[in-house]
Amino acid sequence: MAITDDMIFEATKQLYSRSLRKVPEDAKAALAAAMQTETNETARRTLELQLKSAELAERKDRFVCSDSGVPVYFVKIGSKAELACDFKASIRAGYEELVETIEPPLLKHVTNPLTLERGYHGKDMPIVTYDFESGVDYVEMTCSPKALGSGRWAALELFTFPSLEEIETYVLDVAIKAGAQHCPPVVMGVGIGGTFDHCAGLAKKQTLRPIGEINPDPTLAAMEDRLTRAVNGLGFGPMGTGGDTTVLGVHIDFSSGHGFTPVAVCFNCWINRRTRVRIWGDGRMEWGE
Amino acid sequence: MSVTEHDLTLPLTEDAVRALRVGDFVYLSGEIFATAGLPTHDRLLGCLDGVEPLPFDMHGGALFHLGSLNQEAEDGSLEILYMNPTTSTRFNGHMPRLIPGLGLRATGGKGGLGAPSAQAMAKAGCVYLSFLGGGAEILTAAIRKVTGIGWPEMISHYRIARIEVERLGPLTVGIDAHGNSIYDQTARHARDRRSALLAEMREARDA
Repeated sequence: MAITDDMIFEATKQLYSRSLRKVPEDAKAALAAAMQTETNETARRTLELQLKSAELAERKDRFVCSDSGVPVYFVKIGSKAELACDFKASIRAGYEELVETIEPPLLKHVTNPLTLERGYHGKDMPIVTYDFESGVDYVEMTCSPKALGSGRWAALELFTFPSLEEIETYVLDVAIKAGAQHCPPVVMGVGIGGTFDHCAGLAKKQTLRPIGEINPDPTLAAMEDRLTRAVNGLGFGPMGTGGDTTVLGVHIDFSSGHGFTPVAVCFNCWINRRTRVRIWGDGRMEWGE
Repeated sequence: MSVTEHDLTLPLTEDAVRALRVGDFVYLSGEIFATAGLPTHDRLLGCLDGVEPLPFDMHGGALFHLGSLNQEAEDGSLEILYMNPTTSTRFNGHMPRLIPGLGLRATGGKGGLGAPSAQAMAKAGCVYLSFLGGGAEILTAAIRKVTGIGWPEMISHYRIARIEVERLGPLTVGIDAHGNSIYDQTARHARDRRSALLAEMREARDA
């Protein structure tokens, strides 16, 4: 049995809606853990308030944040999945149906950068990245809507044959520049190497990695540990009113490249919007985060 | 260290504003103004220049950087389905003039405002209150009534909503009326810590 347009349409619609209402379980656990270690009283109360906000939105089936961002999807197509669908058309149709029917309605955040006109639709919306996965018989879709708060502080710099020290200094400086504008505690995604476009993609995908998962690469695991301590040592704290908790995790991936080495850094705010679904040809849909 | 809490009624007196200190928690009851629009802030500056009249007299009031889904309900009354703060630093260019020009006693949103705004606030007797980003349900629950919508021809979050709230909060005093800014303090602290943090990373790498 094949994966159909209807399934992709339905998944597109539901993923976006779910991502606006539910803070992932691992993010909630990380916030709760931070409450135990945080030494700043105001910061502890803000963390508590964040957990309360997440709980209320989930229980009442409402949005956590008013800024629904722009729709961003990642699609991974299994090599053994049987396909009878037009991904691009179905995703676009699913998104268009969603913005017309979602309750409560969304605010108009999709912006034409040339005219600054805002609406629900626009060129290249939704933004979709496609990839393949060998040996699996499903399609996996992830939705991570991106808003201005954390979207605006992403940065990329090109180095030539940088040392680890240069890379880590750059990441820390991006964190200093972002300050607490991105609604901390955040997850930082870092990409190292490859090309300009590939590196940015690596960083972005790292923000979707579960919090607390140890990086299988020991060099990167150690770098993540160093940078997590360093960024938290800056002292911005939850919502920027001071404290020990500015990041819940720094997640890093790398790619081989030439001697010119891009380093990309991006952020996901404390509500950590990301929703995932696996779709099988028999109609099964397995929802995750 | 315990946190000082204030339960305040709007409109705020200058004395009440001057009594607040950075880091205090505040709950507000009474009437607030809310908008998240950059074009709205441009228009407000235009009002000060006499281009058009203000939609509301905000003198002595509280104007917050909050985006809301506001609409006319079936019975003709106004309603807000949800509201939540937006990034205030986007209005760094507007607020130093709007604070004295509109006569604000309180402003706020998330992320704070720059030093010129903090100076304007100290002079005028105005505070900046930090709202929880991603706190839509908590903040929306404090709404009692929507008493007016200014500039309804704009898109929802650009309009100026006049809202009656009850115990809106907790909000954190981010910039007080004495020139103290938590945002300047944390940014300075971060810059001061930079070289020590880089040294710690170097040691860990070499270990």
